[in-house]
Amino acid sequence: MLLAYSFLAPAFIIIGLFGLFPLAFAAYESTLRGLNKIVGSYDGLGNYVRAVDNLIYILTFWIAAGLIYFAVSTIARAVQEHRQEQTNAMRWALPAILTAAGTALFARFVYVLLPEMLLIPSKLRGQNNTQEAFRSLVVETWWLPKVQIALWIAVVLLAGGVVWGLFVNRTVARDSREPIYFVPFFSAGISLVSAAALIWLTWTEINAAYAEALEEGVGLELWSQIVTISAGFLLLLLAWRLWESAGQRSSNTGMALRLVGAVALMAGAWVLIAELPRVVSAGDEDWWNGLMATVFYVLGTVPIQLGLALILAALLFQKIRGQTLFRVLYFLPYVAPFVGTAAVFRIIFSNRPTAPLNSLLDLFGAEPLLWLSEPAGIIQMITGGRIDLGPILSGPSLALVAIMIYGIWTYVGFDTVIFLAGLGAIPNELYEVADIDGAGGWAQFRHVTLPLLSPTIYFLSLYAVIGTFKAFNHIFVLRQAAALGTTDTASIVIFQAFKRDTRYGYASALAILLLLIIMVITLVNNRIASRRVFYG
Amino acid sequence: MASGAVGAGTFRARLADPAARRAALNQGIIYVVLVVGAAASILPFLYTVSVSLMNLTEATGGRALPATPQWSNYVEAWQDAQFSLYFMNSVKITLISVGGALVFCALAAYAFAQMEFPGKTFLFTLLLSTLMLPEAITWVPNFITVSWLGRISPVPWLNNWPSLTIPFMASAFGIFLLRQFFQQIPRELWDSAQIDGSGHLRYLVRVVLPLSSAAVMTLVLFGFVGAWNALAWPILVTTTPDWRPISYGLLSFLDEAGALLHLQMAGAIITMLPIVVLYFFTQRHFIEGIATTGLKG
Repeated sequence: MLLAYSFLAPAFIIIGLFGLFPLAFAAYESTLRGLNKIVGSYDGLGNYVRAVDNLIYILTFWIAAGLIYFAVSTIARAVQEHRQEQTNAMRWALPAILTAAGTALFARFVYVLLPEMLLIPSKLRGQNNTQEAFRSLVVETWWLPKVQIALWIAVVLLAGGVVWGLFVNRTVARDSREPIYFVPFFSAGISLVSAAALIWLTWTEINAAYAEALEEGVGLELWSQIVTISAGFLLLLLAWRLWESAGQRSSNTGMALRLVGAVALMAGAWVLIAELPRVVSAGDEDWWNGLMATVFYVLGTVPIQLGLALILAALLFQKIRGQTLFRVLYFLPYVAPFVGTAAVFRIIFSNRPTAPLNSLLDLFGAEPLLWLSEPAGIIQMITGGRIDLGPILSGPSLALVAIMIYGIWTYVGFDTVIFLAGLGAIPNELYEVADIDGAGGWAQFRHVTLPLLSPTIYFLSLYAVIGTFKAFNHIFVLRQAAALGTTDTASIVIFQAFKRDTRYGYASALAILLLLIIMVITLVNNRIASRRVFYG
Repeated sequence: MASGAVGAGTFRARLADPAARRAALNQGIIYVVLVVGAAASILPFLYTVSVSLMNLTEATGGRALPATPQWSNYVEAWQDAQFSLYFMNSVKITLISVGGALVFCALAAYAFAQMEFPGKTFLFTLLLSTLMLPEAITWVPNFITVSWLGRISPVPWLNNWPSLTIPFMASAFGIFLLRQFFQQIPRELWDSAQIDGSGHLRYLVRVVLPLSSAAVMTLVLFGFVGAWNALAWPILVTTTPDWRPISYGLLSFLDEAGALLHLQMAGAIITMLPIVVLYFFTQRHFIEGIATTGLKG
């Protein structure tokens, strides 16, 4: 057992330091004002307010509510099983909660240690800034009483919880094969602690905002905003639940439920459409534009990319001569280094009249386009630009469309390969049975291939959507100053906030918001997948 | 489906039979679609090769093919862009990080695949959940961590190999990939190894790793591709060309070369060539590695 942990240790130290610790670090950093230096003054949710305005208070409130809901439902499920199936779930509760408390205290230790450590460089300013001085300050900081106390409380609780858990585990292993309830209780405990911390943070921040507003003599309507927006969200949630339950009822009650659901939906949507823009009005325009560009990018690439790949994979799967060759060629754009292929597309989509695409347009007698340097939205361009359609309706800029084409070009081959693997996993007998039943090619595709391929389709769409939110490299290479930032997706905005503007805290806050978006997408996707995906 | 029916009979006889004719037509349409797809995939590459062999007037004049291939473009691009430096940097970065990744990922993957310990599922879930994290969230914290580590360790981290390699020496992807392969190794092998008095470590090195050479190969390939694609992180942690990898080198060259399209394209070819060649030689491993894990490198 100890050997297993020592095998895991090196990998987990590296992943912990560069993969998990950054989460805690970014959360801490995002509360600092920091401009052009590593440690700024504490600013609470200030960075978030600058990014998304008052919406952040509503978000934190709802995240806390979600965490509490998660914790309560997990515990409730364990208790229910405990009653019904006579499992001994409760003996896991105390060690798990002790471990959760230890983990929370360990996080507190990190938040005690971090600021002290980050202060070291500024302490050295003016003195002779040698490595020895730096190191001795590090050692000094480590041995600060408050750091040590925080550390040892956490370690003792954590060790106590884990040892107790192992002890319970040992007694369980002997009598039966009953499930282990450690993780549910542990995650419930962690959720409750995080929810409490979030609520405390939101509460103090809202009060501080009110105090500040009072001092400046301006009115503030935070609470009313929180209530209205939350009501809007709740109505939408209610509409969804009603709609879902309507499907299971008899037709009359079902109709009534649907009707109520539709009313709730419209009311909720109306509240949100009317109120949301007011709530986020002072947010960062670059950030909102970045998110809008990302959404455009997702909508413009993912369906096309998956559709093309599905067609290619279905055709390739028909025992075609040269299948391997086709597969190798399709996959090439994905494998070739991004910066190289992006450099090529920079020239293909160049605004010179003699560039490849513009020569093609010339062949058809059309005027050359600016492509990657064109900030105007495509719908705006198609309609002739006489009417101002506003930022959303005028669609993605032509520059962004060019980048989307590059994105599709790169990923179609990758999706095709995954689809081929998915197709290969479908048992052949099913097609034979379908053949006997007289199902034609299309019917077989529709009723055998698609349902059995749904896990693959689900995985690829989730992967593509998340990948777009993370996308950086090719967009960074393809973006042109002339496109006026219309091609900057979320990751690019974060990178610029960090590298160009050196706003460390702000960039961290944006990154945390991005993570939240990705988590919500994953959760919603899992929810949908558990209903719609057919695992054969 | 259709190909079996088409095999028999002469071409003329096939044309006479309406079912066979339809099958042949279907087959033809399928090939047309597939060939169009293949053309779309490789035309940009062919275009790159063509432009990289042009002279300046041809490259900016919108011609499709060079009159006489200018092989000297490659030499010029190689020297102007300091590609020999960036090339070596990327190779060194790849070797160090892949070497580390092999050791650390193999150890962890072995523990997950062949050993039993409390908290296994939890730790594995925790590991996989890191795949969801956007790279953007690690930029600021890791930059601070790395510059801070550089102050206390004997070697500097910024503008040096540690910052470019050590964070990539263990990844959820690598552990997951190796675990998938390690799991397929039958338990009986371990039992007999134990009888021979071999410990876990020796069993891993002598038996498990040689048996999973395909997985190791895939990991190495992904390591190369990953190192060749790295851009955001190297921009953040390098301020001098000393340790700058090739993608960053190409990007700065693209900006320097400006209107010299033929040199830009020669640079792009130089950058892409090693990976593309590597890919053509190992494409089976490569594609299967991706298809079995369903993840990217």
